[in-house]
Parts: sequence; structure tokens; C-alpha cells
Amino acid sequence: MRVSLKWLRELVDIEMDVAELCARLDMTGTKVEAVHTLGEALDGVVIGQVLECEPHPDADRLRYCTVDVGSEEPLRIVCGATNFSAGDKVPVATVGTVLPGGLEIKKAKLRGVESHGMMCSATELGVGADASGLLVLPANAPVGEPYASWAGLSDTVLELEVTPNRPDCLSMAGVAREVAAVTGTGYRVPASEPEESGTPAGELVSVSIADPDLCTRYAARVIAGVRIGPSPDWLAERVTAAGARPINNVVDVTNYVLYELGQPLHAFDLDTIAAADGRAAIIVRRAKPGERLTTLDGQDRGLAADTLVIADPSGPVALAGVMGGEATEVSAGTVDVLLESACFDPASTSRTSRRLGLISEASLRFERGVDPELQRRAVDRAAQLIAEVAGGAVASGVVDVYPAPAVPRTLTLRPERVAAIIGAEVLTSDIVSILTSLGMVAEEAEGDLVVTVPTFRPDLEREIDLIEEVLRVWGMDRVPSTLPGGRRAGSLGEAQRVQRAAGRALRAAGLCEHIGFAFADPADADRLGWEFGPGELPVRLINPMSEEQSVMRWTLLGGLLRAVSNNQRRGVPDVHLYEIANVFLTAEGRKLPKERLMIGGVMAGAWERPSWHGDARPLDFFDGKGVLETLMDALDVDRWQVRATTDRAWLQPGRSADVVVRGDVVGWIGEVAPGVLDAFECAGPVTVFELSFKSLLKAGKGTGSYVEVPRYPAVNLDIAIVVPEDVTAERVTAAIRSAGGELLEDARLFDVYRDPADSAPGERRLPEGTKSLAFALSYRSAERTLSDEDVAPAHERLVKTVLKKVGGSMRA
Amino acid sequence: MSIADDLRSMRDDAVRRIDQASDLEALEAVRIEYLGKKGSLTAILRGLGSLPADERPVVGKVSNEVRVAVEDALSARRETLRSARMEARIAAEAVDVTLPGRRRRAGTEHVIDQIVDEIVETFLGLGYTVAEGPEVELDYYNFTALNHPPDHPARALQDTFYVRDLSGDVATVEGESDVLLRTHTSPVQVHVMERQEPPIYVLAPGKVYRRDVADPSHLPQFTQIEGLVVDEGITFGDLKGTLEFFVKRMFGEDRRVRLRPHFFPFTEPSAEVDVSCAICGGEGCRSCGGEGWLEILGCGMVDPNVFGYVGIDPERYTGFAFGMGAERIAALKYGIPDLRLFVEGDMRFLRQF
Ligand SMILES: [Zn+2]
Repeated sequence: MRVSLKWLRELVDIEMDVAELCARLDMTGTKVEAVHTLGEALDGVVIGQVLECEPHPDADRLRYCTVDVGSEEPLRIVCGATNFSAGDKVPVATVGTVLPGGLEIKKAKLRGVESHGMMCSATELGVGADASGLLVLPANAPVGEPYASWAGLSDTVLELEVTPNRPDCLSMAGVAREVAAVTGTGYRVPASEPEESGTPAGELVSVSIADPDLCTRYAARVIAGVRIGPSPDWLAERVTAAGARPINNVVDVTNYVLYELGQPLHAFDLDTIAAADGRAAIIVRRAKPGERLTTLDGQDRGLAADTLVIADPSGPVALAGVMGGEATEVSAGTVDVLLESACFDPASTSRTSRRLGLISEASLRFERGVDPELQRRAVDRAAQLIAEVAGGAVASGVVDVYPAPAVPRTLTLRPERVAAIIGAEVLTSDIVSILTSLGMVAEEAEGDLVVTVPTFRPDLEREIDLIEEVLRVWGMDRVPSTLPGGRRAGSLGEAQRVQRAAGRALRAAGLCEHIGFAFADPADADRLGWEFGPGELPVRLINPMSEEQSVMRWTLLGGLLRAVSNNQRRGVPDVHLYEIANVFLTAEGRKLPKERLMIGGVMAGAWERPSWHGDARPLDFFDGKGVLETLMDALDVDRWQVRATTDRAWLQPGRSADVVVRGDVVGWIGEVAPGVLDAFECAGPVTVFELSFKSLLKAGKGTGSYVEVPRYPAVNLDIAIVVPEDVTAERVTAAIRSAGGELLEDARLFDVYRDPADSAPGERRLPEGTKSLAFALSYRSAERTLSDEDVAPAHERLVKTVLKKVGGSMRA
Repeated sequence: MSIADDLRSMRDDAVRRIDQASDLEALEAVRIEYLGKKGSLTAILRGLGSLPADERPVVGKVSNEVRVAVEDALSARRETLRSARMEARIAAEAVDVTLPGRRRRAGTEHVIDQIVDEIVETFLGLGYTVAEGPEVELDYYNFTALNHPPDHPARALQDTFYVRDLSGDVATVEGESDVLLRTHTSPVQVHVMERQEPPIYVLAPGKVYRRDVADPSHLPQFTQIEGLVVDEGITFGDLKGTLEFFVKRMFGEDRRVRLRPHFFPFTEPSAEVDVSCAICGGEGCRSCGGEGWLEILGCGMVDPNVFGYVGIDPERYTGFAFGMGAERIAALKYGIPDLRLFVEGDMRFLRQF
């Protein structure tokens, strides 16, 4: 809501400066979003009088003028306009002025003649549309005075944020009332009693409300014999200050009253309204199937069945509260005006305006609720102003259909409840005076207050609404601060603690946390080769921002790959990210989708750039697996394993695995398949993993008990076993562990050897198709120091059993 | 020449050679030559017994002096050579300590989660627990039970993401569906009040969604932190005190807090909360747009209508709720000019926090 202070001061006494007023409004719930000082941009523009005008010696189209601007010496100014002559008064921008368009006036030489300023057109000053010549001012304009203040352009405009519960503040009168209440001054209600004459309105117009649920009141007046034309300056200025465009005197009056009182009005050309029984007949009703209306903006619109329209016997003539019809609008030839001042249902207006995409000053006000008692006052005010600015006679009487007059609401307010909610004692006398200043009537009855709420405050329905009014005017800053709680300790839940532990472990392992969009591209399913489980469907948005964000992600993978691609494109090759977030899947018949918390990770490039102490080793599958090992340790998940898989289409076969805990697949890890890297514009290798948080939470065994730290030394022996290529390290390790007996404490795989592919037959150290796995074994007893002799039998047995189990041989 | 003279000359010879020994190995060779089992001095000492008795005392004395002198010379030279060797080794092992260290950098927590964690810690200390709720919600929890009238503009398709409902239900509100992406964390309030009796002290952080085009100051997805307290005797003063405590913890003891009356459908009375600008302290400067204050959260007393939806007696219990955006707080705290940085996963951004 734009509020001109000049206008506001006519309605309320303001006894503080602008900054103080803004602060007070801010602190009582009407936020001042901006303060504009109009006219500031015209500093340096003064009124001048042209003394002489000579043709420019070297240019026919320019004239060389001497202009009196009230200073000792007249200015010499070169000018190209022709619509003035010596003696005329014009606005002059003096040297140093910066005009609203950004043009800075400097001393200039035009075709060899010096010019000390610029005479301005309306466009150059930003005060009008006329660019054809200079803005020639009336003869009585005072020479030397600043143009802006003389023209009344100096004003301060406050931009107020009016919250949706305060429709009463969407008018100058309402803001004046609010300002008076919160600053403790008085305000004036603009009222009018138009001079009436001629045929009574009731003989010219009939009004019937067919759907009183959507229209509680319809008041009409007739002004006969108007002359449509431009508005006088004061009216055009006011309408402009409020943010509208002047159209003609009658329409401008309706807009003026809308801004002044908050009542949207509509003016019809009376002659265009079809009659019944000799009177123009207004019918307020719902649209009938198939009805259409061409609105003021020239659009032909089909009307939905519950659209409230203003109709005459021939059909709809206006969309109630939203926009008038083209055929019945006031035009240059209009003689008699039918003025509508009605109260339409907020929800109905809002539906119509949104359905048709027509949001107007009128619809906004009806949507929030117009005072049901305001129509008569507004139509009187407008009729009087029209008669004033457009001539014509106001027909006597108002056709005012108001089937169920509004009854002011009565509420009970308990002063002790005020204290209980606010946490401070507010004197009952203060409560009464606050409510009174806001237009309410508060009377004491047996310790309570009985409060009558004016019809312009539809938001005040309950005791709590009154308490809110008391608090905001009394002052939130006066409420003493207290701190509740502390009677019980706060703590995180189990899942929340484990989630934090997972994040800590992943960071310790070197990954940075990423938070990505939950939206996904449905085409990612094809890019990844993702196959949804039986019946599983991605969650589709009805109104996405774009097709690329039209479903909810069902995996964290797409977002993680995009983050890699973003980084690589920006010249950042080393990417290590994890994300812990929900993924979404639904199914036919489901209302709400399943939300599953996942832990995802992605690694590309190297841990660090090459350095003086080493190269940057490209990250691969085993770096990813190492991260998982750190994570599993942190979450106390033991007995987990990876199982090679070729079922994950987005992973490269041979470098991909399911992550399995006690037989259940809880996720996957692998290097991204080459085709998928291309589809996501990533340079590989890129290692990714995704795990179900819930499964890990379930698998974590919680705090284990203490295992004694060994006190006796170990006997360490290394063995290298040659096995066929398809025997996995896991199999050999498992064989060693199960064969080791109780003395075997640890078996650490420390080397994997294969003959180089290009080695000549004579240089081969292993049989074809085999590899050598070297383990460091440590034997230890908790009771005593073991000798080599103690260990020998166990070790021999171990070697024999393992070789047999895995089909291997000892490496020579 | 007497044997004594021979001994003395052997001594001079030995001491000279000892002093000339260039390393510990050479020195050991000299030692063996004179004092080893087959050493020349050893031989003489061993031969003392065969000397005539009258020569024995003199020669014995001299030879003892010679042995002591040689041994002293040996140990002095050994000491010198040892420390020289140590010095040489230390010199050889010296490095340029200004070379960069070897390390694997730890990862970082996302700045948004850092903010969330910090806020959670603060409120755990005040006795709150952390509550969670679904990101895909029913209109009922997101709007209706939070006292939004049926035609509330936030329900519009242009502001709220709606989700295709596969249940076959006839949608009862705006659009084709009453399933949506939650637009705030406030529905968690309703879930908590439905399943728990007061006293309730909870904090609910989480992702929320609004149909805004991503630009420097908007994201279609961001992070909210909601707080809810329902107990006997809770007042607006309690709300104020709680938020003041929180703001000072989060932004510093010298920051001031201001509550401005505002309107939210699910609280009454409602307020917006400003924190004094860190740069100008409230005077107004460029970074706060001349206001002196920065808006950081919305709050209010739980509206009795909301209690009505969840069956809590508003005469017995009162409560307050507040909500804030983690992105905005992070942007204010670190001066981050473009919210899109939060979701891009740029390592150079993430590593800064
Ligand atoms: Zn500042």
C-alpha cells in the first residue's frame, strides 16, 4: 500500500517526523518497507522565464535564448524546441542537475555556442508523457522557485506492508485511523452528502441480488448529464500518487474513492444497461453455463458456473469485484453514469480473479474483506466528486439492496487472560484505551470487558485477536523476557545420534557434505539405466519448475554426479562428497510416498593434487571401499561384506558390488559405467556408493565390550599363496581365519602379485591365470610369550588346510 | 737405548697415529695395533715378567704410564670422532621445514548443517528434543490444521509444489491433489501435538519447498528450523526470552533482538524477529540497507484454533512456536551473496566452512 504523506496529513494529525512515524508503524505491525521522497530527483530544476530568443547562428533548428532564473545574471541556453516564445515560463535544469532519466546537465557547447543549462519537457522531468516540446508553465509561476515544490511534486510516499488480516489498512482513511491509534492523535473521516436533484434513482435503476451468499449488499446511484473528460490536476495527481494511471474524470473518481475509503466502485454507462419495466435492471447472480463476457481489457472470456457476475436482462455486464465489461464501460460519449458500490464475497472474488488471472486493486480488497457498512458512504462520496469534476446531477436517493445488515460482533475479553498470554500486567484502563483508539467500544462487566468490534475489522473474531491488538499497541518491547523449560534434559534420539556419527565418519574419511536439490530429472532413470523395483514409481510433481526437476529423487546418485560434473567444468578435478538425505518412491494406490534416508557418496580425481612428496593417485573402487570401512567402523557394523555384482547398470561391471550385512543387501558401491559418465558429462573414474541409513542403523551393534590389549609379544610369519584368478581375496582370508585356530590373531593381506601381462614366458614367475596373495600372519597367546616352536605345528596345519581349501600352492 | 725409551717413543708414535685417525674404524685399527691381543704395547706389557728384577719397577712404571696415555688418547679421539659423526648425520638429515606437510584433508560439514547443529545444541541445552516429519505432506498438516483458510493464497499452484496422488482420492482442495511438498516445517508441530501430551519442547529442522525460481536470494528448496513449546503458563515473555537467549548464543552477546508485530495464520499474537546489524549495531548502514536490523525469524503464540485441531485445551495450555531459515542465517553470518552456492556442491565453497 502506497501512502502519500501529503494526502495522509489531510486525514490525521501527525505530530512526529517521518523516521519516528515509520518506527512506530514498524513496531505496531505495519511494516514500512520503503520511504520514497518524490521531487528529490528534480533538485536543481527551477522556474525560468525566457527573455529573448534568437536563431542560432549556425543551426536553423536551434534557438539561442536568454533565460531569467532568478539569479543575478540570466542564463544563456541553446534549445531545440519550438513551442515557446519570449515571455513564456518553463522549467530549467541548471548546471549540475541530474534529471530522473540520469542525464547530467553540464556546461556545453552546441555548434560553437555555450549553453548553461537545459529547458525541459514533461518527459525529461518524468512528470508527463508529452515530449513534443517544452513544458510551458502558467504565467503566474514564480521565477526562480524550485519547480518540484511549486508543482506540488514534493511529497513523501510510504510503502506499507499490510498483512492479510488487516484489510482495513488498504485505504487512506484506514491508515489514518491506524496512525491515530498508534500515535495517540485524532483522525477525520471523509464524508459527503451529495446535492441531489431530478428523477429519483429508484425510477431509473432496479437492483436485485439473486445470490445473497456471494453479495451481501449492492448500492447504486445515478449521476445524470456528466461530461467525460480529463481529471483536474489534483485528482490526477492523487490517483497517480496511489499508483494508478489517470483515465478520465469519472473513472478517476472511482479509483480515488477506492484508495481513500477502501471501497471498490464501478461506473457503468447507464444507457448501455438493458432495462426491465422501464428501469435499467442490475441483477447480481452466478454465471449460467456457456455465458461469456468481453472484459474492459478486450478479452472475451468464458465464465465458469460459480463466477459471480453483474448482469442485466440481456446477460453479464461485469465480473463482480474483478473487472467491468467492455460494452458497458464509461466512454467519451457517456452521459448518465450508474455507480456501483457493493460488497462481494472474499472467497468467490478470489477464485474468479485467480482463475482468470485478473488481479486488480478491487479484487485484492474484496479478497481480504471490504467493510460491509462502507458502501453507502463510498457511493455518496463518489457521486459528489463526480458531480464536482464531471458536472451532472446526482439523482435523488440510493438504490441500496442490503438484505441482511451486518451486526457488529461482541467479544468478551478477560484482563487476566491478557496477562496470562502476554506475561505482563496491562492495566485495564490501558486495555480500554487501546481498544477504543482502534475504533472498538469496550465496557466493563463483572471484571471482564465486553468489546464491540467495528465492521471494518473482520479479523477480530476471538478473545485472542483482541489480546493481539492490545499487545501490539501496548508494545512488545515492554514485555519482560523470561526463559521457560529446563525441567528436563534435552537429547538426540538414537537415529539422530547415529546419523551424526555417520556424517563425522565420512568427513574423517575425507568427504565433504553436500546438500542437493530433492528434485530430479525423470530422464535420469534412462541415463543411469535404473530399473525401479516391482510396482515402484517415482514421485511426480503436478507443477514442477521445469521438466528437469519434475520428480522427487529416488536415488542420491544423479545429484552427486551432477555435482562432480559442475566441479570438473569449473576446473576442480578432486571431488569427494557425501550426502545424507531422503529419497522418495511411491506406488499405484499410495497417497503419500515412502521416504527413505540414504547415505550417498561420490569420489573423483585424487585425494590431493600432486605434491613434492608424491603424485596424485586417481581414486578408484578401493578408495570408496575404504570410506565404507571407516563408516562401518564408526557405526559398529561388523560382519558386512561386499559382493561383486553386475546388476547395477550404472556401475562398471567388474568394479561394482553390493554391500551386504548378514545376508541383506543394504546398498551398493562401484565405479560409474563409462556410458553413464558420458550421460552426466563426468570424467572418470568416478566411484559412488549409496546405502540405506535405516539398514545400517539396524545393523550397528551399539557399544561393544572391552577386549584386552595384548601383553605378550606375537610371532609374525608371512606366507604367499598362489591361487587361480577367480579365487577372491575374501575367500582366502576366510580360509586362513577359519584354519588359524585360537593362536592366530590376525591375517593381513599385504601384497597381490600378478605377472605383468607382457612378460615373456621365460620371465613368468607364476603359472598362467594365477595370482599370488601375500599375508602377514600374527600368532599370539594371551597367557604367555610364544616361541617359534610353539607356533610351527599350528602354522603348518594352517598352510595345508588353506591350500587345500582354495586350491592354491605356496609361492616358491 | 733402554726399554723405557722404546716405550716412550712407542707412546709418542701411538698418540700421533690416534690423533690422525680419520674415523672410528681407523681408530679401532690403531687401538688393536697397540692394545689388541696381539698389540705391540700388549706384547711389551706381557714381557715385563721376563725382565731382570732390578729393571722391572722402572720399566713397569713407565709402561703403565704409556698404556694410560694411549688409552686416554684413544678415548679422547673416540669422543671427538663420535660427535663429529653425529653432527655429520644431523647435517645430512636436515630438511627445508617450510615444505608443505603431508596430509589427507578431512571433509567438511555443510555450512547449513553446521548452522542447524549449532541451533540444535543450543536448544538441547534448554531441554528440547528434536522432532522430524515427512517432506511430502498432506494439505491437512501443512495448511488446514495450521489454521490456513481454504482459499489461503499460499495454497496456490504458483506457490506450493503439489504431488500426484496415486490413491484415487478425489482431491478436496486447490489443484488436483491434496498431497504437497511441505512449505514449512510447521506441520511437524501438528504431528508432535497429535502424538504427544504437553509439556512439549521440540525443535524440528528440515527441508522445505516453495515454488520460487532459484536466484541469488531464493531457492525452491531450503532448510527451516521450527521450534514449539506447549506447557502450562507459557507466555509471550517466555517466547521473547527464549529467542533472545538463542540470538545471543548464535550471533553474539552484544547483539540486540527486536520483535515486531506481524501476522501468521497459526500463531496469535505473531511477530517477526530482527537482530541488530553486526556492522553498525543498529544505527543503519549499507550492509543492513540502512535499517540497522536484520529479519531472521517469525514467531508467535500458538493459535487456539491449532490447539483445537489437535485436541489440546487452550485454556489449560498455552504455547509458542518459531521458525527460521538456515540459509538466511548462514548468508548473514558469513556474508554469502548467492543462495545457489549452497546447493551446487562446489568443493571450493564447501571447503570454506
Ligand atoms: Zn548495519
